[in-house]
Amino acid sequence: MTDTATLLACAAIAGIAYLTRVGGLWLMAWVPLTPRVEGFLNALAGSVLVALVVPGAVRGDAALQAAVLAAIAGMAITRRAVPSILLGVATAAAWRAVL
Amino acid sequence: MPAPSPVPATSLTLPGMVRGARAIAPVATLVVLFGAAFGIAALQAGVSDWGAVLMSAAAWAGASQFAALDFWQTPVAWLPMLLAVFAVNSRCILMAAALYPWLKDLPPAQRHAVAYLIGDPNFALAIRAHDGGERDVGLLVGAGMLLWAAWALGTLLGVVAGDLVAHPERFGLDAVMLVFFAVMLTGMWKGRVTALPWAVAAAAALAAYWLLPPNWHVLTGALAGGLAGALQAPRAPRDPGQAAAGG
Repeated sequence: MTDTATLLACAAIAGIAYLTRVGGLWLMAWVPLTPRVEGFLNALAGSVLVALVVPGAVRGDAALQAAVLAAIAGMAITRRAVPSILLGVATAAAWRAVL
Repeated sequence: MPAPSPVPATSLTLPGMVRGARAIAPVATLVVLFGAAFGIAALQAGVSDWGAVLMSAAAWAGASQFAALDFWQTPVAWLPMLLAVFAVNSRCILMAAALYPWLKDLPPAQRHAVAYLIGDPNFALAIRAHDGGERDVGLLVGAGMLLWAAWALGTLLGVVAGDLVAHPERFGLDAVMLVFFAVMLTGMWKGRVTALPWAVAAAAALAAYWLLPPNWHVLTGALAGGLAGALQAPRAPRDPGQAAAGG
């Protein structure tokens, strides 16, 4: 990728990212939040992550899949994000070190 | 501020910013690690070293930046890349919407600047504090500034150290982002309300992953899950407290 394309891509990504942040404020100021819109937005937040995690885990190797399962189990039991993330990463590292 | 309300007025103070930065410091330490993981992944995807740091400093959007790496090719797949960034970052729309009742009392210029600093960890911190009566937006801002700096610094470290770490997967570093998503997702589980949209999102994402051209599965799954949520919303039993409050 050329330097110009890199600059353009960074600007575009930054612009879209800011748009999603400020967009929520505009949305609340102008769009009536009907139950259906609220249901869509509520479900969208989790669905984005589902759509990232499930194919990502399917595409990954056994170590990656074990890492995801360990992190989910850790979070479900402890409800603490940081230790659960570290548990997942450690699981992937340990899996690859042993097998 | 003409709002004649019994709660303290919305403010934005330096002490509030310091409190926010202090409260988020442990998470910011971890964000340095994520930033380093991004820097390493960006180099592997063919992003130049300065490009990776610039992207982190300007966009400050961890998950979305990882998503964008999938499209880092020549020629650039602009539409799928920007749609993916939008889809992954669209949760910020929800967070900003949730913060609106608080931020709407700020002057417009301040409000639009504060929006730039909305991120997952400081949103979680601020929205909890707001529920407890906090009205100083500095909490959100100070925490956001520290997280932004941690993310940019982490990316810089990753870019510098990326050449030293020949096989980041040996340390499980390639799992950081997927694990982070999975943990956030687990924390968002709310029983039956989430079950149907998530199942639909998973099925649609997998179908798109196997059947469609590369990189459309995130958007497909997210929209399918969102539509499922929209369809089930009116039928969901109303929260008793909400029903009482709404009359």
